[in-house]
Amino acid sequence: MRRHTRRIYNICYRFTGNGAEAEDLSQEVFLRVYKTLGSYRSAFGGFATWMTSVTRNLLIDHYRRTKRDRVTDSLDDAMPVVENKASSARRPDELALLGELSSQIQTALTKLSPELREAVILRDLQQLEYSEIQRTLSVPEGTVKSRINRGRIELARILQQMGVRPS
Amino acid sequence: MTSMNWTHEQTEARLTDYLEGLLQPEEQLAFDAHVSSCTQCAPLLAGVSHLLTDLHSLDELEPPPRLIYAILDKTLGPRETVTGWRAALAWLGSLANPRVGYGLASMAATFLIIVSASGFSWRKPRLADLKPSSLYRNADRQVHLVYARGTKFVSDLRVVYEIQSRLSQDEQQNPATPDRNRPQTSPNEPGRTDGTNPSSPKQQNRADGIGRNSPMLAAGFPILFERRIR
Repeated sequence: MRRHTRRIYNICYRFTGNGAEAEDLSQEVFLRVYKTLGSYRSAFGGFATWMTSVTRNLLIDHYRRTKRDRVTDSLDDAMPVVENKASSARRPDELALLGELSSQIQTALTKLSPELREAVILRDLQQLEYSEIQRTLSVPEGTVKSRINRGRIELARILQQMGVRPS
Repeated sequence: MTSMNWTHEQTEARLTDYLEGLLQPEEQLAFDAHVSSCTQCAPLLAGVSHLLTDLHSLDELEPPPRLIYAILDKTLGPRETVTGWRAALAWLGSLANPRVGYGLASMAATFLIIVSASGFSWRKPRLADLKPSSLYRNADRQVHLVYARGTKFVSDLRVVYEIQSRLSQDEQQNPATPDRNRPQTSPNEPGRTDGTNPSSPKQQNRADGIGRNSPMLAAGFPILFERRIR
């Protein structure tokens, strides 16, 4: 339970970049898993993979639901102050927890498209195999590799633009 | 494939394959050749390499402790808050499990051992015996008694082994020496010298051995026999 909670919370946090949202989404994930436990089949590829798939679906739903809010926010904050925006949304204990690098990467991650973001999170932060990511995202392995590749390149460019990695 | 026909698009498309070592040798050579001479691809490769190092070095975030309780509340329903005598009953009920039973039994056994070792009399219990000074004094006495008994036991053992080794040594040197002083025993009842019946064959054998070896014992350890005479 504790291990799964930690893993799901990390995926949610890395995807949303917000502690409160990550907590709410983690609870939603467990509630959905609890309700749909009967639909789990071991042929899917392991309980953890199934949970990750449930998490991913909820994150995408959440992303679509909150898209309009984010557009409004981005119009309000016309200047590129994504890091400040992200920081203001976090609690002080989260800020203390996150190092500077982690915070910068988190800011860059939230700028990625959801498809690329989830691929990078699953591969480079959750250290999943290609086959597990393929089952989680329900896309061919070639698409998984392509998304991971594009996600990494895009993330490196965003960090470069933020001045984290000067050329 | 050479560096001449390896393009930026190819570099971008195969970057992950290159970093994960999935390129063929000739592809890798072409990739290296292109990156080393391309001012756009070299920083890209360096940036992505650094990014991967950074991503892999990130620690997992610790979820807030309340999250697990929130999840349990959401899935299994909120916990009931019990107060008053029901809370007391619930607490007592929680004690009725094997782990608590084993713990209590272990504590009781430890208490009994400590109190018994301190010399407390269970037949005639006195409150004064439970005073810390009395407990300490009795425990100290018990320890010294045990030590003295142990020392005496070891010392006795040493004497017995020494006697046995000397007897066996003497037997080896004089295997057929007739013994005039040996008490006469009946062939049918060896070891019987005083008209009493040995209670067991083992006892009889011991009596035979002592009777047979008594002169040698007297010669080797006169002090034993002097003490017996006195």
